[in-house]
Order: sequence, then structure tokens, then C-alpha cells
Amino acid sequence: MIRAPGRATSRSDSLLFVTCLVLSAGALALPDRYSLSLGTTLRRTALRPFIWTQERAEEGRTSRARFQAVQAERDSAALAAQSMAALIAENSRLRALLDLKARTVGSAVPAEVLHQISPTGGRTLLLSVGAGTGVRAGDPVVSPEGLLGVLLSVDTKSAVAMTWAHPDFRVSAVTEDGSVLGIAAPSLNTEASQSFLEFRGVAYRDTVATGTLVMTSGLGGVYPKGLPIGRVVGLGREELGWERVYRLAPLANPGHVAHVLVVRTPAGLEPVP
Amino acid sequence: MSPRRGDGRLLLGFLLLFALHFYVRPRVFDGRAAPDFLLCALLLIAVRARPGLAAVAGFLVGLASDVLTPAAFGAGALAHTIVAYIAAWGREVFFPDNLVVIAGLFAGGVWLRNAIVLLASGTPSSQLASALLVWAPLQALTTAVAGLVLLYMFRDWFAIRIES
Repeated sequence: MIRAPGRATSRSDSLLFVTCLVLSAGALALPDRYSLSLGTTLRRTALRPFIWTQERAEEGRTSRARFQAVQAERDSAALAAQSMAALIAENSRLRALLDLKARTVGSAVPAEVLHQISPTGGRTLLLSVGAGTGVRAGDPVVSPEGLLGVLLSVDTKSAVAMTWAHPDFRVSAVTEDGSVLGIAAPSLNTEASQSFLEFRGVAYRDTVATGTLVMTSGLGGVYPKGLPIGRVVGLGREELGWERVYRLAPLANPGHVAHVLVVRTPAGLEPVP
Repeated sequence: MSPRRGDGRLLLGFLLLFALHFYVRPRVFDGRAAPDFLLCALLLIAVRARPGLAAVAGFLVGLASDVLTPAAFGAGALAHTIVAYIAAWGREVFFPDNLVVIAGLFAGGVWLRNAIVLLASGTPSSQLASALLVWAPLQALTTAVAGLVLLYMFRDWFAIRIES
């Protein structure tokens, strides 16, 4: 039974409260590498049973409601794969003609997204994939729709990914035809209920039509070339006559994605965190 | 009901809330407005404990939240500490054994927690407005409803004396 009111708040209560506030403020001021390391340790130890429980729940949901969606995606992938053999052969012939080295191919590891309830939940995602599968911090994370983000930290059983909605997210981008280069970053001027990206750094002389697909350029060494990021939905702003900033509707939604692929950096190459 | 039996039921009640949060919620609810059973558990602890202990419980729950969504490490700990302390302190002002008061406690707790997390994590003002005026009230509502249903079904476990 709840105790009756009337007890005065003691000095020790205030002291405990202030101590917790100071510790929280300290955690906020902690550099990322320490906070990620602390988080990894806690996920590996104290929070392991809870994460394990949630992984089972996600598996359960997958095996029922998501089955048809996954089946449809698999059918689409199978259809697209039918033309792969011809493309690979053509690509090999062209590379041989140009005397180019074989293309570096990265493999991917599937992972389930363990969604958390937090107002900032979409900025980072907890994934059910660990270091045992060969993934490392800095590896790109993609969904069937397109680029989702990059791994921030990896422990033995789980990993944390920073999504495109995180204010620190940046990716070197290019239009589908390769004519316009820029940087994709989250937009600060977000509409009431929809998050957008910005395609920044586009030279003033270049124009990008609405509906153009924007992909990763492969520059910078973090993301492989050709991952879809989003579609241009209009001109955002112009910076003093030398740069255009376009609004980009992202293809992948971190809030609803259930499964992702972590693209492993090929052996011999170090991921850039 | 003996004190030991009452404590056992209370413990079962909290285990139920943890199971709901980590097992049932991911299977049933999808999206930002899903009810937060962990905050319900925290507030139920807070109204039973001294404010200092409630703050410590809030800090630990918040730290767990930060570890699972490290967008702004420490923001969750700060928010849960403040919410739990206010809930415990608020017991001096009201006696939370009424459905409407408990609903208000759950809803207000969720909204305040979200507001502090958003502010502490440096959310841009344009996103802040929609998060505080749309998503936070929706989550507050779902949490209040889910919490009330649970309290009504398991009122003996949580030893809440609900007034008709």
C-alpha cells in the first residue's frame, strides 16, 4: 500500500537527487568514445537479458506479421538477380578492356532492429549483430529501400548504428547519372511530421530536377558507391549565389525498418568511423 | 494480505511491466507513440519510495535508456531522474490512489521525460515543436491508457487502492 503523505523531504534525498543530476550532466558531457565504450560494457553485461528478450520478440514478430513483406522483397530480389549474370559478365569484359582491377565486393550481414522507446530513438538504432559476424564500427547499414546509416559501436552480441536522422550524419552523394556531386546531411528545417535530408554543396551552375535519385558517391571511403539515399523533392535554399541546397526525401525510414544489412568492409580495408 | 505476499506480488507486477516493455511491446506496438511500460514501472516505484531513492531509480532507468539509444548519452538519465524525483515529491501534494491522478501521473511523466530528453539532446526547434506537441502527447496518452488498464487488472499486485 502506498504510504500516506506528510513526510518531509530530507536532506539525504536532496543530496541523492543532486548527485544523480551531476552524474547525468557528467554523462552528457562525456566524450563519445567514452560513452560508447560505457554503453557497450553495459549492453554486454547488465542489459544483456533485456536485449536478449527483445531479440526474441523481434524474431517472433518477424515470423508472423513480417513474413509476407520479407517474401515479397525476396521475390523482387530474385527477379532483379536474374539479370545479374549478364551484367557481371559485361562488367568483367569492360574492366578487362580498360585494364582495371577486379571490383572490390563487400559482403553483408543481416540484422534485426531492436527499436527503443525514446524521443531520439530514430537517430540511433540498436542492432542484433555482433563482432563475431565480422562487422566493425564504421561499416555502412542499409535497408532494402536504401542507405540507413553507419555503425557507431559494436560489441559481442549487439551494435549501435547512427542513422541519417542523426545531426552528425554526413555522406558524400551524387545524382543517379553521376553529373552532380554534393553532401547529404539531415535537414534542420524539418516539416512538422516528416524528416528530410539536404543535398548540399551543389554548384550554383548545376540544377537537379525534382524526382532525381541521389546515391552514395563512394568518395571518402566509408560508404560504397551506388547506395540509394533519397529523391530530390525540391530546392531548399540558395547560398549567396554559389551553392544550391536541395531537399531530399530519404528512401529508408529508421522508425519503421525491421531488418537491415550491415555491409562489411572488405578484408584489407579499414572502415572509417 | 501478509507483507511478504504483498512484496512478492509487487515484484511480480514489476516483472510483468518489464516483460511487457521488452517482449510484448516490440511484437505489438510499432512507432513513436508506443506506450512506455518502463516509465510506468519507474513511476510506480517513485510513488512508493523516498524522493532520493526515486531519483536513483530514475537515474538507473535513464542510464539503461541511454545505453539502448545513445543519441545523446546522459539525456535519458537526466530526464528520468527529474521525473522520478518530482513524482516522489508530488506524493506530498496528492495521494495517487485515484484513476485520474494515476493517469495524469503517467501522461505527465512521459511528456516531461520526452521534453527534457529532446532539450538535453539538442533537438532543432523545428523538430522540437512536432515532437512536443504531437508525438509526446500521443505517447503520453497511450502510456496512460495502457498503465490504467494494467493497474485495474492487477490492482492487488500493485496494491493501488482505486477509488470508484
